[in-house]
Amino acid sequence: MKHHNSEWSTLKPLLAGGLMFALVGLLIDVRGMVPAENSSRSESEVCQGSVRSEVELSREQLAQLLTVPERDTKARVRDILKEPYCQLPSLEVRAGVAAEREAYPLEFDPQTWLVILYEGDEYAGYRFSHQ
Amino acid sequence: MQDIGLAISKFIFRKVSLMLALLLSIAGCSSQSTEEVRAIQIYQDWELEPGDAIAGHPVLGGLGDISIELKGDSVYAPFDGRVQPNVKGCVIFSTPQIPAYLFRLCGLKRPTLGQVSQGEAIGSGRYLQFAALRRQPDGRWALVEPAIDILERTLEKP
Repeated sequence: MKHHNSEWSTLKPLLAGGLMFALVGLLIDVRGMVPAENSSRSESEVCQGSVRSEVELSREQLAQLLTVPERDTKARVRDILKEPYCQLPSLEVRAGVAAEREAYPLEFDPQTWLVILYEGDEYAGYRFSHQ
Repeated sequence: MQDIGLAISKFIFRKVSLMLALLLSIAGCSSQSTEEVRAIQIYQDWELEPGDAIAGHPVLGGLGDISIELKGDSVYAPFDGRVQPNVKGCVIFSTPQIPAYLFRLCGLKRPTLGQVSQGEAIGSGRYLQFAALRRQPDGRWALVEPAIDILERTLEKP
């Protein structure tokens, strides 16, 4: 009886320790599973200035844009895309070069924006951003 | 009767331990997700680059990298984006918010891979070798001087 009790009393702290260890481990790593506080819409993705809510990019416009090589002029891209839905906050990625970003929701998938980057008068490139 | 109780307790203890070990393994591996390696071709054709080794010592940075002493501090995602492994010791950060650019971060210990939110810690270490890469028309990536703003976003806790 005493022998069994002593084994049980040895097991209890082990069990408690194991549980604590597991909980600490899970709590530490759970950070990767929970979205960060500011993940809903980051600052850099919020429109600034006026928004042209009627603007949507058609498949034809997108197809035309894809034929424009990077380093071409901003004017050529603007000829195809016209006025943007909105401007995203300007920033500097490369030292000494201001970057302008313009957003265009896709007509066939409005939750996806085409983000265009210009550096000065130069078209730098595009990416799709899912909202 | 007490023997049976003890046997059941031991059995439960073993099973619970096994489950917890399994859970911890899964949780421990979650930050090292199955992100595919992002291989990039650098525009500048230099002989030594991160990922190389000299006399058994790994090269952590090369011409074009900004070296920053972190002293164990964390670095943070400058935008919502994705962290992918690159050459050994380096990761590539990409974001749809900045077309035509990638950032290469070398020297981080156990970096968080996969999708990250702006301001989320993506790793820490003694030193950070930071490189900004701009896409060229031929698809290669040129090392360019990063703006201080980008470095501040990466280094300052939001």
